[in-house]
Amino acid sequence: MDPTQAGMVAVGAGIAVGLAGIGAGMGEQAIGAAAVGAMAEDEKFFGKGLLMTVIPESIAIFGLVVALILLFVF
Amino acid sequence: MLKPTKMTRVVIAGTKEHIENTISTLHKLNLLHVTDYNEETEDFKMGRPLKPASELSDHLLSLRGIANQLGVMGKESATKLSSKQLPSQIDEKITFLQKEVSSRFDELRNIEFRIKEKEDLISAVKPLMALPLSIDAYHGYESVIMYSGFIAEDLELKLSKITTNYELFSGDYEKRKVFALFIPKIFEEETQKLLQEERTYVELKIPELKGNPPVILEALEKEVQELKEKQASIKSELDNLKKEYSEFIIAADEHLSIETQKAEAPLRFATSPNAFIIDGWVPSRRFDELDSILQESTQGQVYLTRIEENVNEEDIPIELENPSVAKPFELLIDTFATPKYKEIDPATVIFITFPLFYAIMLGDVGYGLIVAAMAMIIKNKFKTGGLNALALILFFSAILSIIFGIIYGEFFGFPIFNVVVKGELEHGILGMAGPAVAGFHLPVHRFEAVQSLLLMTLVIGILHIFLGLAIGFRNIVIEHDLKHAIFAKGSWIMILAGGVAAIAKLMPAMMSGLPVPSKDPVFMMGAVLAIIGIILLVKGEGAISIMEIPTLLSNVLSYTRILAIGLSSAGIALAVNTLSMNLFIRPGGVLLGGGIGLALIGVVVLFIGHLINLLLGILGPGLHSLRLQYVEFFTKFYEGGGKKYAPFGYNRKYTEE
Repeated sequence: MDPTQAGMVAVGAGIAVGLAGIGAGMGEQAIGAAAVGAMAEDEKFFGKGLLMTVIPESIAIFGLVVALILLFVF
Repeated sequence: MLKPTKMTRVVIAGTKEHIENTISTLHKLNLLHVTDYNEETEDFKMGRPLKPASELSDHLLSLRGIANQLGVMGKESATKLSSKQLPSQIDEKITFLQKEVSSRFDELRNIEFRIKEKEDLISAVKPLMALPLSIDAYHGYESVIMYSGFIAEDLELKLSKITTNYELFSGDYEKRKVFALFIPKIFEEETQKLLQEERTYVELKIPELKGNPPVILEALEKEVQELKEKQASIKSELDNLKKEYSEFIIAADEHLSIETQKAEAPLRFATSPNAFIIDGWVPSRRFDELDSILQESTQGQVYLTRIEENVNEEDIPIELENPSVAKPFELLIDTFATPKYKEIDPATVIFITFPLFYAIMLGDVGYGLIVAAMAMIIKNKFKTGGLNALALILFFSAILSIIFGIIYGEFFGFPIFNVVVKGELEHGILGMAGPAVAGFHLPVHRFEAVQSLLLMTLVIGILHIFLGLAIGFRNIVIEHDLKHAIFAKGSWIMILAGGVAAIAKLMPAMMSGLPVPSKDPVFMMGAVLAIIGIILLVKGEGAISIMEIPTLLSNVLSYTRILAIGLSSAGIALAVNTLSMNLFIRPGGVLLGGGIGLALIGVVVLFIGHLINLLLGILGPGLHSLRLQYVEFFTKFYEGGGKKYAPFGYNRKYTEE
């Protein structure tokens, strides 16, 4: 792989993780706020709240997988 | 293990004369989960509290009032008071304490009020020290009006426009100008207007006192001093009372709480004019114990029976039952939801998978040792409760992390064994090559083995999800029947198994640009299995469930976080080490090449960097490992919604029988 190509791969990996992270964050902010609100009413919501909050996190993981494949497999 | 404790429904009946005895026996046993009676009929009504209930709660109320005023707090008490002697003392001691404490408290409040009053006077008199007048001189004029206050401007010029017939005193107090103006009453309106227009004017109220300011001030300060001494002596008296009686207050609080609980127990029973019935649950293996002790204490006058039929499962209280090593993990189950009676209790499964995922992520001998030590400290500090359980969970995880640290060959990010990274040999701390365990060469360097580790995490994920689906299959077979289970969970198992086989064959082919391997028997079988699964799913749950199939893929991919979090933690450690080593401790490969000052900075960087990474290393793996259990694993089988077993009784801490 020539250096330019290697550089572009690295940039691509960075963009994949970064954008996926931003997306996941945007998803999580609303759910997180709602979950904290629910927990303030009843602490039993902790488990369910955590579950709901981390659901958008899969998006970040997808970005990460793409980045790992770019860097180590491609 | 894996299932909640078996429960037996018990009904206890007897005549009213035995109710007290029955209650106190049950309370002592701390065994029976009482079902509250709330369907009143003509014959049976909700019971009335026993006689002493109101007196007991009165006592409890005043005792808590006293405890509050004295600031008595519950703590681990070494001596336990006997609950036999307590009742005879309670009445007398509470009356005594109430009198002593409340009278002192009233006095204290009175003194505090007076101190405040005097201090207000002091701050009013102090500015007047700057003026050469006795305080009486400010009051008592008929034709003259007096204004006093702070002001920044010069008044005389403006006053001269109104009249020259005035007297103005001024002086300095704390860098501000104080003045007192005496002017005939006929100029009141103009003077007032003049002062109002001055923006720097602040009025000063003259207190109703007599004498010269310095003399008054001295007297006031002396009074405040005396009051403060008195306040301190009352406080120390209260402290002595607290020291002397706090043991009694805590013990009496517990005793009264227990007695109130007993006295109010009939509210939960069904009673007729002459009899009572208690309905409840007891762990089946302890039924005989309950039976024999109750018969003994009531001389067989109370009738007790177990009910096996027509049991509503939703009413059964849940007590989790696990081997003692897996017990702390019940905390994670309870945080999520209490299982239903017939559901699998996954605490034992979590006992293996949670620390395993944590360890694969953290995987560092140094961090593992520190986390294990911290967990031990917390465990010894909190003997019971959630923190104790949490510490034990952390401890197991840390021990496994040390083992994985050896496999990865990492000690605070430094290599333990000699290892070849990107074609270059790195010397490890031990200065030797890693040993081979069962034909497996250690260490497995995390940055070098990304591909195989990625594959490993996916395999772990697939197995974990399979386990979850299998448990879900079993739960549905028990709750409904085999047919339902095949539609609801069997279909998913087929989709997962078939999908994995098909994708495993498809991916390598697609990456190397080959056509779809339609001749490969494994690929074909996998694809067929997955399609059968999808058909079953659609039949069982409706067409909308097709929308859910991609979540299976995201669930499996989600397990790659195990690798990702581990890599980031190892990466931070490596960065910190490289930074401090190359820049400060050994610039240019020479030890202390940058001088002692730079070396010290290097040590600080090393310390802070690893501290931050350690904190992240506890939080990240912990939360993500938990998330894999809750989101990926539990959603495959767990419903929850059971009621926790809460036996009628009390664990005495400060009293003994």
